Amino acid sequence: MVLVLALGDLHIPHRAADLPPKFKSMLVPGKIQHIICTGNLCIKEVQDYLKTLCPDLHITRGEYDEETRYPETKTLTIGQFKLGLCHGHQVIPWGDLDSLAMLQRQLDVDILVTGHTHQFTAYKHEGGVVINPGSATGAYSSITYDVNPSFVLMDIDGLRVVVYVYELIDGEVKVDKIDFKKTTATTHSAH
Amino acid sequence: MSRGIVEEEAPSLTRVFSPENRSLGALRSVQWRVNLGILPPSPSVNDLRRETADSRRRYAGLRRRLLVDPHVPKDGGSNSPDLVMDNPLSQNPDSTWGRFFRNAELEKMVDQDLSRLYPEHGSYFQALGCQGMLRRILLLWCLRHPECGYRQGMHELLAPLLYVLHVDCERLSDVRKIHKDHFIDKFDGLSFEENDVAYNFDFKKFLDSMEDEVGSQGNSKKVRSLDELDPEIQTIKLLTDAYGAEGELGIVLSEKFMEHDAYCMFEALMSGARGSVAMADFFAPFPAAESHSGLPPVIEASTALYHLLSIVDSSLHSHLVELGVEPQYFALRWLRVLFGREFSLHDLLVVWDEILTADNSKLGKVSGNEEISGFKILDSHRGALIVAMAVSMILYVRSSLLATENATTCLQRLLNFPENINLKKLIAKAKSLQVLALDSKISSSLSTFDVAYSRSKSAVSGRNLSSGPVSPNTPLSVVADSYWEEKWRVLHKAEELRQDDSLDKLAPSGKRRWSEKVRLVLSRTESDPSPARAGKYKKGHRSSVRRSLLEDLSQQLGLEEDTEAGDCFDTSNIEDRHSVEGQVEGQNDTSIASICTAEERCESGSGASVSEESSSIFSDPASSGSISNDHENDTEKSSVASNLSSDDNDDRHQSDLEDSPLPVSSPPEDALLSYPDENESSGKTVSASKESRHLSGRFQWLLKFGWNNVSQEASDKGVSNETAKSANRDSKSSTADSSTAAGASRYSSPTSQRDVVDQNVMGSLKNLGQSMLEHIQVLESVFQQDRVQVGSLDNLSKTNIVGKGQVTAMTALKELRKISNLLSEM
Repeated sequence: MVLVLALGDLHIPHRAADLPPKFKSMLVPGKIQHIICTGNLCIKEVQDYLKTLCPDLHITRGEYDEETRYPETKTLTIGQFKLGLCHGHQVIPWGDLDSLAMLQRQLDVDILVTGHTHQFTAYKHEGGVVINPGSATGAYSSITYDVNPSFVLMDIDGLRVVVYVYELIDGEVKVDKIDFKKTTATTHSAH
Repeated sequence: MSRGIVEEEAPSLTRVFSPENRSLGALRSVQWRVNLGILPPSPSVNDLRRETADSRRRYAGLRRRLLVDPHVPKDGGSNSPDLVMDNPLSQNPDSTWGRFFRNAELEKMVDQDLSRLYPEHGSYFQALGCQGMLRRILLLWCLRHPECGYRQGMHELLAPLLYVLHVDCERLSDVRKIHKDHFIDKFDGLSFEENDVAYNFDFKKFLDSMEDEVGSQGNSKKVRSLDELDPEIQTIKLLTDAYGAEGELGIVLSEKFMEHDAYCMFEALMSGARGSVAMADFFAPFPAAESHSGLPPVIEASTALYHLLSIVDSSLHSHLVELGVEPQYFALRWLRVLFGREFSLHDLLVVWDEILTADNSKLGKVSGNEEISGFKILDSHRGALIVAMAVSMILYVRSSLLATENATTCLQRLLNFPENINLKKLIAKAKSLQVLALDSKISSSLSTFDVAYSRSKSAVSGRNLSSGPVSPNTPLSVVADSYWEEKWRVLHKAEELRQDDSLDKLAPSGKRRWSEKVRLVLSRTESDPSPARAGKYKKGHRSSVRRSLLEDLSQQLGLEEDTEAGDCFDTSNIEDRHSVEGQVEGQNDTSIASICTAEERCESGSGASVSEESSSIFSDPASSGSISNDHENDTEKSSVASNLSSDDNDDRHQSDLEDSPLPVSSPPEDALLSYPDENESSGKTVSASKESRHLSGRFQWLLKFGWNNVSQEASDKGVSNETAKSANRDSKSSTADSSTAAGASRYSSPTSQRDVVDQNVMGSLKNLGQSMLEHIQVLESVFQQDRVQVGSLDNLSKTNIVGKGQVTAMTALKELRKISNLLSEM
């Protein structure tokens, strides 16, 4: 029963001042075991804040991040699942599923989390899941109109992961849930 | 097979439940379940089984409800849950996730304790299965009782319960192995082998196969009928028959349902099963709703412990009090875990056998005065046995306790109870003390509660004071100073009479007097005039003061001695004899304190004591004549009938300083009036007293009471106690007397008395000297305080106070003269 928070693209302080208060009230320390952040925080203060929520924090580098030493991609294993993390501006076309699938195969992960498009998407693709948590602050994006603040919470329990999506639509928090079961068959290794 | 015999009649366990028959006793879990009230004490096995099944069903339902797995969708999961509410980050307290996280937190707390449970029996208790069961049971109980929550120590109460269940299940499996043919269910193994058809039944083949069976069982007993079995085995058989009432759920000794049974036993133990002693109370930090003392139950019980100890062995009691060893330091652990940490597991089971056998139903209280109630823990046989057990344990290590002058060493001894103990002796002693505890409950009063709370050093307070009573002002106002003089004379006369009486008394009584004297001496030496007695007494007692107090006092005053130092002690000794409890502190205090305010909570002990004393002086004859600081406080405060010995005054006045706000608020016209005023106001006021008020009140007290009381030197505290007692509870005091006397004779060893005698004289001399000093100090302070008091008081007529101060000073001087006379005589 591991709770993993996935968020990114906050663009604090350039495009947004802070997380929406409703989101902030929900994020309390103690419940979440891991945080994975796609990037573009952009300043260290945001990293410190996220660290207070959970000590296990993983960040990849976004193009506007002021901290230059984040990695481009990251992989980690939580329970039975392998997670991959990348900001996504490196994968072009931005937001394209097939290209992201290439990255997923490259990293050899079950769950790939990327950002940059500031739009929430979640695809079940080839025995894995590709998730885009969107922008947690609803920051402006040149490629997406009408950005709603959103983030993703994954509940990993054995071979099953439940993905909860929290979106702030018209000032209200809406929650959605996606179930995903990993097949115990080996991961796709086409070669 | 032999089963047929069993099914015919409703099996009965009449033999089993007879007290002489120990066959059920060997099955501890069943016996305890009966004692705890889970199973009915009915001889019918079917009843037992049904009750067992019902309790197990309840537990199963509870578990399904409360143990939350948010992954498992509720209600079959078909409907779409409201995700806004039911997501993991939801702040909604009702969400399943919220409950899940709360449970997780509770579990973490419980785990902390469980990991350290019984490491010496780790093979059982640290096993995962057992730990899981314990965790679930504790979690469910805490969820069911959110007001208590989980407190450290609950796991120790649960562990032995689970253990006895486990032991019985093991016994069952042992028995099963031995008596295979009775216990093995061969329902499907009937030897109708080839053809199942009855009409074609081949008898010869059947008989052959039967013989084969018998032969193959070899060593197993060839008992055919149930009645031939050992009664114990019979019991086990009946209780575990899978075909009996309620089927498998009704198998009373079942490994499958151990968790259910353990939960039921734990719940019954904690809630007391509608009896008097509920273990959950001991974990509560706040006083119970109907508590008269306003103390948390465990503190109240610790006080009861010391109370009983003071009756039983007052020298040890005073020694412990002198060292500052408060009962709750060790009793907290003893009581909360029911001695679980003091004995090894197997000894503990024996102890719990005894405790659980004692009846837990509330004893009816005959006290006519409903405000005055005894200790709640003594309200049942079981509670009394628990207290008696604790006292017996203290007595067991008596010699090592008396040998040390260091509080830490005492506590170490008490908290590390010796390993190899004669358990039977301990339990026998506890049983004898239980009777005493139940008796003493009648005469106990809340004043003793005060003691637990603030005793810095004071040991026992003599009692005195008849607080005047709630009687209206007018009668007392009419009383002139000559009243006090008259009392003085009466006291002298009574003293002389007493002297004669005492001389005629037999040696034993003389011995008792000596022991009392010693106690007196000890308490006096302990008395500490420091004002640091804050918070001694908890709540002022609200008992009303009787009008007859005055009259009674006047009668009793005849018994008071005053001029002679020796007399002083004698009377106090006599009073000791008469006092109900041994050296129970705070009795005096409470009576006086009640006058002042009922609600003084964190007052200095003196304050509280004073108020209580005044109001409840009659109610609490608990303390023996031994003097204590409290006593002194009380005496000062006691109104009309204050019979404080001179010694006490000093202490009193100091303690008074901390006292009740009443003096401040009530405008006394003169010292005499002050009492009635205060009494009334104390009775009425419920306001929490403030510290500043106390301080000023203290001065006020001094002014009002101190010196009038001083004039009453002759009357000892003890006398006032007696007066009070006789006034209110003749019967009780007599029983108290007898019990005290009995206690004194029984428990004060002659040898110790002799040893003490020598110290006695020295002690008395010292006391006198001290009292003289104190008086002088008081005098000085009175004058100073007059001025200060006047300045600080806001609403009182200053002239009155000043005038009173002078009066009191004069009386104090008189007292000093008397003391010097006494000394010269000695």
